[in-house]
Amino acid sequence: MPGDATSSCWSCGTMRATHFCSACGKVQPAVPVDYFAFFGFPRKLDLDTAALEKEFYALSRRLHPDVFAKAESPERAWSLEQSSMLNDAYRTLKDPIKRTEYLLRLEGVELEEQSKQATEKARVTGELKKQVVPPDLLEEVFELNMHLEEFRMQKKMGEDDPALLEGIGKAKLSLETKYDALFQELKADWDKWDRAVDGGTEEERRQIRDHMVDVLNRRNYIRNLVRDVNEAMEIL
Amino acid sequence: MAYSDKVIDHYNHPRNVGSMDKSSTDVGTGLVGAPECGDVMKLQIKVNPETSVIEDAKFKTFGCGSAIASSSLATEWVKGKTIHEALQIKNTEIVKELSLPPVKIHCSVLAEDAIRAAIGDWKKKQDAAKPAEVQAQQNRYWLLASSC
Repeated sequence: MPGDATSSCWSCGTMRATHFCSACGKVQPAVPVDYFAFFGFPRKLDLDTAALEKEFYALSRRLHPDVFAKAESPERAWSLEQSSMLNDAYRTLKDPIKRTEYLLRLEGVELEEQSKQATEKARVTGELKKQVVPPDLLEEVFELNMHLEEFRMQKKMGEDDPALLEGIGKAKLSLETKYDALFQELKADWDKWDRAVDGGTEEERRQIRDHMVDVLNRRNYIRNLVRDVNEAMEIL
Repeated sequence: MAYSDKVIDHYNHPRNVGSMDKSSTDVGTGLVGAPECGDVMKLQIKVNPETSVIEDAKFKTFGCGSAIASSSLATEWVKGKTIHEALQIKNTEIVKELSLPPVKIHCSVLAEDAIRAAIGDWKKKQDAAKPAEVQAQQNRYWLLASSC
């Protein structure tokens, strides 16, 4: 259909490609697509980052607003629009964690909403809600927080307890090991997800999504705590 | 974003901070965490086994002002209530009482989770503490009930 902005070139009317018209090469207005589609990738997680980078640099050069400084005004505006989307898409997809979080958002996962619904369900059924953070990790986190509190108090009083400091250091190391292990767990989920995109059922995909949410939650939890420890230690 | 006066009051003067003997059969302990912000909340209740009334409650929370206020309020509310009554407490009531903004609703959810977890822990202990014969009888009863 000529004149349809999503399928034909605004300038010559032939079928358009994502960023440029395939016939006349003119820049096209950005269409609201997700970042995977922007690069022409499927919604898979084990992404070829070298290919992504190559594509990013190639597109950056061709879309750069400077190239269109003297072009017709719609092309100038659209090159700016497309460039800014290109940067956002690249930054998001290049980072493994941001990429996973972005995909989960695309898939409609709302972390907080899930937690609230689980609490409401527990209220109605009387069953215990499954906690996102596993009990042993909670114990570890709680204990470390107690020690940190003590540590901060001692600092204020000008006291020094090497044993306490050593304990905090050990706990931090244990958390950091867990943190790294969680990234490996996430990568295993990527493979499962990518396979399920091609041939899995919706139920299989849902389970993998839920597990990725779980892993990311635990990872964030540990990250925040390690940050607190580092902050407390720097007071030294 | 400013905290409400009630949140600030609970933050500056938290009620019932402390801990109880986790191994006591009368004490139920709930330990929960919110991955959204890294908060961790421990809430403990001491229950009269005869009346099922929560006679005492303690908490310790590492987190933001809203998380501390939510758990502080939760201990105030459960005290004097029966287990059954305490299970009726909804996170939305905590939101209302403390005028929590939408971004802090998860703090109230955490407090409700903590109450439920503490009660769940206490119930588990009561079941475990029952004499073996009573339990065996109960099991037979359940078997019978489920086989019809």
